[in-house]
Amino acid sequence: MDRRLFLKFLATGILVGCAPGEFTSSPIKTNVLRPPGAIPEDFFASRCIRCGRCAESCPYRSIKILDIKHGFYAGTPVIYAEKIPCYLCMRCVKVCPTGTLQKVSQKEVRMGLARVNRRLCVTWNGTGICRSCYNACPFKEQAIKLDRLRPIVVPEACVGCGLCTYSCPVKPKAIVIEPIYAFKASK
Amino acid sequence: MKLSRRQFIKRTAALTAASLVGIELPKSMKDAAQAADVDSWKPGVCRFCGVGCRVYLGLKGGKPVAIKGIPESATNKGYVCMKGMLFYKIIHHPERLKKPLYRERKDQPFREISWEEALDIAAKKFAEAVKNHGPNSVAYYGSGQALTEETYIFQKVMRAGLRTNNVEGNPRLCMASAVGGYLTSFGADEPIGSYADIEKAYCFFIIGSNMAECHPVLFRRVMNRKLSKPDEVKVINADPRVSPTSRIADLHLQFRPGTDLALLNAMAYVIVEEGLYDETFIKKYCKFKLGKPPKDVSFEEYKEFLKQYTPERAAEICGGNITPEKIRTAARWFAKSKATMSLWTMGINQRVRGVWANNLIHNLHLLTGQLCKPGADSFSLTGQPNACGGVREGGGLCHILPAHRPVKIDKLRHEVEDLWGVPRGRIPAKPGYHTIAMFRAVNEGKIKAMWINCTSPAQSLPNCDFYRKGLRRDDVFIVVTDIFPTKTTEVANLVLPTAFHFEKTGVYGCTERRSQLTVKVIDPPGEAKPEVWIVREWALRLAKELNDPVIKKCVEPFIGLEEGYELPKAIWEEYSQKLTKGRDNDLSAVTYEVLKQRPDGVQWPAPTKEHALKGGTYKKFVRGIDPLADKHAKGDDPYVFYGPAHKDHKLYIWLRPYKGAAEEPDAEYPFFLSTGRVIDHWHTSSMTGRIPELLRANPYAYVEINPKDARRLGINPNDMVEIETRRGKIVLPAKVYEGPIEGMVFIYWHDMHEERMANRVTKDAFDPGSKEPEFKICACRIRKVSGPKPLRPYVVGHKM
Repeated sequence: MDRRLFLKFLATGILVGCAPGEFTSSPIKTNVLRPPGAIPEDFFASRCIRCGRCAESCPYRSIKILDIKHGFYAGTPVIYAEKIPCYLCMRCVKVCPTGTLQKVSQKEVRMGLARVNRRLCVTWNGTGICRSCYNACPFKEQAIKLDRLRPIVVPEACVGCGLCTYSCPVKPKAIVIEPIYAFKASK
Repeated sequence: MKLSRRQFIKRTAALTAASLVGIELPKSMKDAAQAADVDSWKPGVCRFCGVGCRVYLGLKGGKPVAIKGIPESATNKGYVCMKGMLFYKIIHHPERLKKPLYRERKDQPFREISWEEALDIAAKKFAEAVKNHGPNSVAYYGSGQALTEETYIFQKVMRAGLRTNNVEGNPRLCMASAVGGYLTSFGADEPIGSYADIEKAYCFFIIGSNMAECHPVLFRRVMNRKLSKPDEVKVINADPRVSPTSRIADLHLQFRPGTDLALLNAMAYVIVEEGLYDETFIKKYCKFKLGKPPKDVSFEEYKEFLKQYTPERAAEICGGNITPEKIRTAARWFAKSKATMSLWTMGINQRVRGVWANNLIHNLHLLTGQLCKPGADSFSLTGQPNACGGVREGGGLCHILPAHRPVKIDKLRHEVEDLWGVPRGRIPAKPGYHTIAMFRAVNEGKIKAMWINCTSPAQSLPNCDFYRKGLRRDDVFIVVTDIFPTKTTEVANLVLPTAFHFEKTGVYGCTERRSQLTVKVIDPPGEAKPEVWIVREWALRLAKELNDPVIKKCVEPFIGLEEGYELPKAIWEEYSQKLTKGRDNDLSAVTYEVLKQRPDGVQWPAPTKEHALKGGTYKKFVRGIDPLADKHAKGDDPYVFYGPAHKDHKLYIWLRPYKGAAEEPDAEYPFFLSTGRVIDHWHTSSMTGRIPELLRANPYAYVEINPKDARRLGINPNDMVEIETRRGKIVLPAKVYEGPIEGMVFIYWHDMHEERMANRVTKDAFDPGSKEPEFKICACRIRKVSGPKPLRPYVVGHKM
């Protein structure tokens, strides 16, 4: 393959694969989450009327509204767990007029599931002792437990609020939120 | 190791790929990939708590870029907590103080001045105060974080130079009761054993300590011991709050705050009643004592005394989850285990009867003979890296001179004067103000000039609003030496920038009597200077101002020495070789050369070089291990308790009655309020708050409330809650959590924000013996003020 051909392929690849993807595929991924009580991602963007009340009601400014770059998903709310996590005050679910955010209680929230990267976590890889995620967890001893000081996530209790990710002092983050529930309906 | 860029990228790529698929790499390769961006690793001691972890500071191009634990270390075995791992980030922090700052009045802004001018002002103000108001109008308030050399030289100039015993330090707020306990029970300050006992213990009695947060590296060793023999090793945790420490406990005794004295006496009752005591140990080594002045009593009288504390009665007093059966179980485990180790910190020390609580823990060890054998010890943990080495041993409190010499005893005072070569009678016979009295004297205007070194009393004193009023007075001249702006620099007239850890040389003495050296490896930023230099230059100017050659005499041996290494070395040599020789903390063989040869430092007593080079004394008072025990031995007994405070070489079992807190809850203020620490922050967070990673983990303080209380008061997680005591009110977000016992709230005290500053509400009642304030207990009322609110973390001038 010569240089010209290679570049052509690359350009087509970018055009076909990435750019429209940004426009039509869901923005939800690791550490980018929907607010509490969100219905599955397959229906989210079609049910949400982009009124922005959830973001307005959020006292922590955790909820951000996606801008025009996100095409179809512009105007929908997301939470960037690494920037400002969800403190579970549950105001957004109360103000959502369409039921896109369903009126769930704190414990029923499933924004995602925390996952510990045992190679990055200093307590797991044996270079240090840290308990930030455990301390930050709003469901201490239920959602995150310590096994010989090492953090372990309990999937049954983890709501995916991202407080652990936010507080993790390691770079890159040794605990992240995977939005595994957002895509459940389609798979 | 040299790595080319290509090699490095290859290895990093291999590491990433391997971590994706989950293969274990050969260890050497992994280390190379992780260590590749550091030129050299320099050994030293961690700057934070009293565990004394040994760390390597990683330098690249002369700049600190990483810290890691030293795997061969005797204290931390290579582990460090996140504070330790990240403190290299504050070394070159942009907010470091770099120039002396001065203002005449406290409402003016600071202006930068030169060192010449700054030292002249400091000397003039102190000299004026001494001339016009007498020597007791000046004071020094130091820190358990200052190096031993610094505390020693400061107190020497204050005592022999300015003729005042107004030398105090923040260890009064944390260790004083432990000192009182050790002196009254064993006759000698500081623990008998070492951390090495942890690996030999079969029962841990952890009371009033959340060591999982506050001494995480040591807690790891306790936990590993428990896990190595889960059925044989028992852990008892006594604490009104369920803390991370309680998670490894077999038995958690959750009592109402302030009832620990009853609990401990009841355990002693069970030990005596069930005949679990060691009769030969008691007969050979112990005496029973009562009251002040102490009076000898018999074992029978002690038994009679204990009858007030049957487990049934104690369970009633203690409340919580305490049942008579639990007390009995705890006492049996304690007495019957092969070796029992007690561990405690502020929950016991920061009490209005802290010394008594310490005595009662020692009593349990004395009754059962759980002392001096491997794994058995009554071990008080320290919160600061050099509270033991610098302040307790170096003479940093108003009533003690260097090397455990009480000021009051003429013979010892004259000994110090002779060793310093100053005329006898130079050091006053009367102890100076203790911490609370000192700051009350500031409030009353009795103190005219004060030097605050390396600590922030404006935030760390209990009921701090009250004492800040005095500190703000314009007729009190305040010098603060620190590395960062703090709440205390806000009330200062003169702020002097100092060198940080690794920017100066000196010794830290950790909890287990271990002295470790940290050598200067980088230059301090700007014009920051080591404290030892500042004191020397200040003293020389003082001598001129007051026209007093004795002040010059105090620093004469140190004139002209280079401040980075030679000066602290000379000060350490004077202290260790002259002052500690022949005392119970004999460090006379521990020179800088020995400390450099001995990577793990030396545990005193170490009177000879051979002994020091072997690491010193692992256990005090045991013949064959402790050379001083052999020296003082008269008979064939295996243990010799030669402590300087008990001339009869006996251990005392004290009859100490139950007494509650100074301020118990009532109808008006129905809740207990207690304060504590979290793993990510340390003390006033002036350092840890400036490490972004740690600040993120815990951006602000919150209040822990029991779910039952929260439900009753309609408080939801993260609601803003007002805590009001008789001294003030603060507003914090709530954490509803099955931690504190019902009827108690718990707040973290690191937050510098005025709204959330815990010590604005704590009580300044203090122990009449140790003069240590009762931070841990006061009465408060709580109410919800609003729903959740976004909060900003607060660090002076810090932009997030």
